[in-house]
Amino acid sequence: MIALLDKVAAKFTNLAAMLGTLGLVAEVVIILIDVVGRYFGSPLLGAQDITQMSMLVLVFGGMALCDRIGGHIAVDVFERSFPDWLNKLGDIVSAALGATIFAGISYSMYFSARMSDMLNQSTNIINLPFYWFKMYVVVVCVIAAFGMILRAIALTMGAQAPKEHLI
Amino acid sequence: MSGFAIGMWGMGAMFVLLALRIPVAFAMFAVGFGGIAALNGFPAAMSYLATESFTLGSSAELVVVPLFILMGNVATETGMSRRLYDAAYAIIGSVRGGLASATVIGCGGFAALSGSSVASALTMGKVSLKEMERFDYDPKLATGAVAAGGTLGILIPPSTGFVIYAILTQQSIGRLFLAGVLPGLLLLLMFVGTVTLLCWINPKMGPAGPRTTLPEKARAMLGALPIVGVIFLTIGGIYSGVFSPVEASAVGAGLIIAIGLVTRVLTLRAFWAAAKSSVTTTATVMLILIAAHMINPFLALSHIPQTLGEFLIGLSLHPLAILGLILLCYLVLGCFLEGFAMLVLTMPIFFPIITQLGLDPIWFGVLVVLTLEMGLISPPVGVNVFIVKSVAPTVELGTIFRGVIPFWFAMLATLIILVAFPQISLILPNTMIN
Repeated sequence: MIALLDKVAAKFTNLAAMLGTLGLVAEVVIILIDVVGRYFGSPLLGAQDITQMSMLVLVFGGMALCDRIGGHIAVDVFERSFPDWLNKLGDIVSAALGATIFAGISYSMYFSARMSDMLNQSTNIINLPFYWFKMYVVVVCVIAAFGMILRAIALTMGAQAPKEHLI
Repeated sequence: MSGFAIGMWGMGAMFVLLALRIPVAFAMFAVGFGGIAALNGFPAAMSYLATESFTLGSSAELVVVPLFILMGNVATETGMSRRLYDAAYAIIGSVRGGLASATVIGCGGFAALSGSSVASALTMGKVSLKEMERFDYDPKLATGAVAAGGTLGILIPPSTGFVIYAILTQQSIGRLFLAGVLPGLLLLLMFVGTVTLLCWINPKMGPAGPRTTLPEKARAMLGALPIVGVIFLTIGGIYSGVFSPVEASAVGAGLIIAIGLVTRVLTLRAFWAAAKSSVTTTATVMLILIAAHMINPFLALSHIPQTLGEFLIGLSLHPLAILGLILLCYLVLGCFLEGFAMLVLTMPIFFPIITQLGLDPIWFGVLVVLTLEMGLISPPVGVNVFIVKSVAPTVELGTIFRGVIPFWFAMLATLIILVAFPQISLILPNTMIN
């Protein structure tokens, strides 16, 4: 059951990362068009709006994959001096805490999205509605939280944690 | 319980979580959220969570982070970074210790493409260590040069360290980039001087490499020309005011991608992999930044920075003595904490003190980033040392740590010079951006 759910989580994680990667490509393209356009006297209208929202898509799109590949920075100075059970406990607490944090972001962002919808909040120049981008954050944070819950369960059942790395 | 006491408990809890290997971002989120909830109520904490996540996640200034990371990743994928090393190798490879110096210079060149020290050490390590092994270089010198040279990545602009510092302290990214140029070059020269000195004391450490002919030199230089052109265009564009840092990062990334595609060394698959890797690295960085912005209001509410600042100022020490104490803290913390995490954890506490003392925040930024660099090669958590170890698995970790010691002292000497002569850091930002 856990393995099946993990496969589903992996698919959604990859989808979110793909959206994030598209967000990155969009940033490069939009800013380049804007710079070249400005040189010829006609900058791209709303370039900054699109760039900002692409950044949001990029940042949160990569969160689930970052966690899945052990991409978070952790301090492992005491790892060797701790008993195995304590390190294992740390891994489980990490996954559970991460799931709680992403669920929290998702929950608070949902209400923020509803507020933005009610107040018609949007970007400054071309009025991209905040509502849809905030709902995107809600969904990808749920995906990240889901992956972490599964990892916490798998770790409790004896699986190995991905190794965090330092950047 | 007073706000200060809650703040101290919160900081204690954070260090316990960090010791338990909880990711830095999660620990900061938990403490920041819990602290705000305790001092200002749960709804306020929830509101901060949504606001900070959205505001920072969509920050226009932070767009430079993924774009410079992408630029470095694509340069690595396409082997352009190797050409920088080849050019330096062709020019000074035939002198004693020349390959190690070429490595350091190559690292400096790559640093101007990528804001990451780890990327610099990894890329140059892959390229240069085998060459140095082939010419019987002492493993201490070879690995030490790569580990230390790699640290240039966060001092020479574009630097992720400066971007994060700028966001945390509300300083200008452009001014910080400019401020990093001369100190970066100074440090590069200090590293080359260290290599020369070591090989002068013990010539067996770095035997001279083969001589290259003039056409070979010209060919190597020509090969590095596109990448040098991109560096000049992007960094020069920022300094001349043609581009903002964000635009420069997009132009740089776009040019590197275009060169890779036109010369057919970059496949679409490789580009996609580089872009995806840039996205996950950005997610790592951004999650910590958002978490840091959850900690900041908690610290402000608990009055910890204010109390600490009043205590330090009450000691009636000279501002430079307090600066020295703060830098000493960074040097000690750098031995145990990852540099980026250290920056976001400490800046809300130390920065208000620096501003109260009237010290220049841009100068302080350069000094802090240099101490972060020193942390990258300080035991036991010298990230760059571990990176070099991953590229040179046959070399003992102890050997690499012994190899970086002379370079660490070169960095310390540079830090002292930069403290003594703030103009080195400030002359470019003060004359070019006002």
